[in-house]
Amino acid sequence: MSDLPLISTPTAAEAALVQRLRARDQSAMTEFYDRYSAALYGVIHRIVKADDEAEDVLQEALVKIWHAMESYDTTKGRLFTWVVNISRNLAIDKIRSRQHRVGSKTQGLDDSLAAQRQAAPETFRPEHVGLQEITKQLVPEQRQVIDLLYFGGFTQSEAAEELNLPLGTVKTRARTALKILAKLIR
Amino acid sequence: MEDFQTYIESGRLTQYALGELDPAGQAEVEAWARRSPEVRQELDELLAGAGVYAEVHAITPPAGLRERVLGRVLAEIGRPVDAAENLVAEATTMRVSASNAYPPQPAAAAEPAPRRNELAIAASVALLLSLLANALFYTRWQQANTALVAAQNSQARFAQTSQVMERRLTSTQEQLHVLRSPNEFKMVALAGTPAHPQAHARVLFNKASHRVYVDVQQLPALPAGKQYQLWALDNGKPVDAGVLAINTATGDSLQLMKDIASAQAFAMTVEPTGGSAGPTLTTMTVIGNI
Repeated sequence: MSDLPLISTPTAAEAALVQRLRARDQSAMTEFYDRYSAALYGVIHRIVKADDEAEDVLQEALVKIWHAMESYDTTKGRLFTWVVNISRNLAIDKIRSRQHRVGSKTQGLDDSLAAQRQAAPETFRPEHVGLQEITKQLVPEQRQVIDLLYFGGFTQSEAAEELNLPLGTVKTRARTALKILAKLIR
Repeated sequence: MEDFQTYIESGRLTQYALGELDPAGQAEVEAWARRSPEVRQELDELLAGAGVYAEVHAITPPAGLRERVLGRVLAEIGRPVDAAENLVAEATTMRVSASNAYPPQPAAAAEPAPRRNELAIAASVALLLSLLANALFYTRWQQANTALVAAQNSQARFAQTSQVMERRLTSTQEQLHVLRSPNEFKMVALAGTPAHPQAHARVLFNKASHRVYVDVQQLPALPAGKQYQLWALDNGKPVDAGVLAINTATGDSLQLMKDIASAQAFAMTVEPTGGSAGPTLTTMTVIGNI
């Protein structure tokens, strides 16, 4: 994991894996798992915040990725982006249905925000080489916005409302944060 | 150029990178990216940033999760294909993967899939047996149901019959009691009038209790809409003692008539159904003195 970030995987290697997955080669699924599961599990876990649910969602995501592989368009973006989005959406669906079950949606959002505010710096696990360094590149305000958008399932307008900020500020912070992160792998 | 710059700053690309857009919104962004290299570059940058952020949070899953999840995923994705084909395909891929350089994986990956197939076959067999059993039980249930309905019908018929028998028995016992009590009941023979010499009946009269029974031996058949009516003659004055039911008139049973306080003779006339207030003397059929 300390080598090349997944988002920068050489396109040729990625294309070969996609090819095998599309050919219904089940050993490719094992390889896919070994390469991507830590990243996917991390994102999922950060959203659902429970081991057993994270495991369920990861499994669901892998099955969905396998079946949807036909519809993955290599020209639109990297494999990692696509599979992370599938996993993220399933995880967000999970917490939304959970919040829905509990009843008050507002309550659920408040809870998740409070948890994130509290947990943000400590839950970053230093497994990834350079992680501390990377997160230090973002000011807390930027990380807060990105956290809400990326892990909380908030839209930019919802995040603006939640943080009591103008929508323009949220947009700027999100964009700046993503650009800073992108520079780290250049 | 101006347009692209505005679009880049609109926040749409960030939304795309953070997975906030619906399919229509995604298509819109992708269309812009195809037209403009600037948009494409900005979008790639934002996507890379989001990717980095995701990967920064990578967590190595807990021990045992790989085996469980991968096992279930492989079992699941091996499913939709036709069963026979599936077995072959799985066997092949497993062999391929075994010869590949993935030391820990064949055991973990290969094990759950065949077990799934056995389970699937077992489940299919169980389902088939269950269906057959269902069909059998359904037929039996239907037969039992039909038999039950028939039994219930005949039971109802028997109950009805026994009620009728009960009633008949009760009235027969009553009549028997009347006939066996010569001290209480006085038997009055009613002989046919000259117009009906074969007619013959009798009245059982209890002076103490004032009860009157009629017992018909033979009476002429009645025209439609007519009924025999019994009269008690008290000092030459006719008193209504009631009309005779059909089975009484045909001699099938005794009939309890109206109470009569005092009488010296009884007579029967033919009256319209329901009886008359006074006797139609021309139709007198039988008469007899106490």
